[in-house]
Amino acid sequence: MMQLGMVAVAVGGIVTVNHTWVPAALVSLLVSAVPTILRRDLRVVLPAELNFWIVLALFLHVVGGYSGFYDTLPGWDHLTHAMSASLVAAIGFVVVVALDKYVESIFLPPLFLAFFIVMFTMSVGVVWELMEYAIDQLTGSMLQYSLNDSMIDLLFDLFGGFMVAIVGTYYLRHTTQEHFVESLQLDEAKGRIGRVVRRRRWPYK
Amino acid sequence: MIEAQLSWVMSLILFFSTVYVTLRLDFLWIAFGIISLSLYVLPIATTRNPFKAIPWEMTALVSSPILLHISEGSRALSENLAWWDDLTALAFAFSLSTIGFLLTVELQMYTTVRMNSAFASFFVVMFTMAVSGFWQVGEYIGGLVTGNLLVDTNGAAMGVLIYTAAGGITMGFVYSAYLKVMGRERRQMFGLVHLWEVTIRRRG
Repeated sequence: MMQLGMVAVAVGGIVTVNHTWVPAALVSLLVSAVPTILRRDLRVVLPAELNFWIVLALFLHVVGGYSGFYDTLPGWDHLTHAMSASLVAAIGFVVVVALDKYVESIFLPPLFLAFFIVMFTMSVGVVWELMEYAIDQLTGSMLQYSLNDSMIDLLFDLFGGFMVAIVGTYYLRHTTQEHFVESLQLDEAKGRIGRVVRRRRWPYK
Repeated sequence: MIEAQLSWVMSLILFFSTVYVTLRLDFLWIAFGIISLSLYVLPIATTRNPFKAIPWEMTALVSSPILLHISEGSRALSENLAWWDDLTALAFAFSLSTIGFLLTVELQMYTTVRMNSAFASFFVVMFTMAVSGFWQVGEYIGGLVTGNLLVDTNGAAMGVLIYTAAGGITMGFVYSAYLKVMGRERRQMFGLVHLWEVTIRRRG
């Protein structure tokens, strides 16, 4: 549904000669296809909620940009920031839980995991603001309106990170970690990657 | 032994600076002082060996920004030298990454957390940037409350963040190299770099 919406934005943008958001819509469409590609080629299954969240965040961003919500609706920027921050936090969460399981020298208790997620989200938020700043400096655009804007962005990033840290630890307490990681089906994916690599290497031996 | 004594001197600077900012109710720096002091005291207190103080160069890096923050000389220099604020921002970045490094080491010593050296390096970089993000937000909120914004433009805030990003990434590499270069005797004397040692040994 929402992917259709992004297509609509791309088509509408071309038709109405409002090209600014066409590339963003196309890129978002590509990114939103990544979970599907992961599932088809590597059989890594991301949790359905996460999948939905990814598409929703991209959708809100593209629609907001296209329809001018970023400028006209006062809370829009904060909403998308909290969304994308929680998304980053969720992806960080999945990666860290997988690391915890598969790398023997890493062990991370739940409390540290929550701490890590908050810190991770905050640092990505900082990188994000720096990127906005750099783009503004280079192109003269106005992604950051003022100090208020960037600081409140960071606050909302923090909020998103906290939410995921709480939900994530709650989630792990109720489905065991093994179950969660198995549901990602990384084992099979690892085997598959290994097989591909072996196939590639074999003739050169 | 001389090394531990140097480290004590540095930690005294840290201690008195913390007392000073506490008297001035400078909340962010109070938090900074208390956290870094407890990281400093923890190995000494648990091993009951005053010579298990953390290496003096690390103590120096940790305590430099708080000293720069309270010193009048530094304030005068920041008004007269254009690059002085860049220097203090960099000192702050080095200090934060050192605290991040100590955190990885002491988490390994006192909790069940286990990291390998790649993850620990990543943690150092991430910690530095996240804390400096928190710090900017904290200063901003503090400024709104007291009606006196220290960092008043977006460019200034971003400038500090750029320096912490650069400093954090540099120190992530520096610390993984640091322990490889450090002599075996010195490493054993401190006895607190276990986690990084393990990965060094494994690499051969």
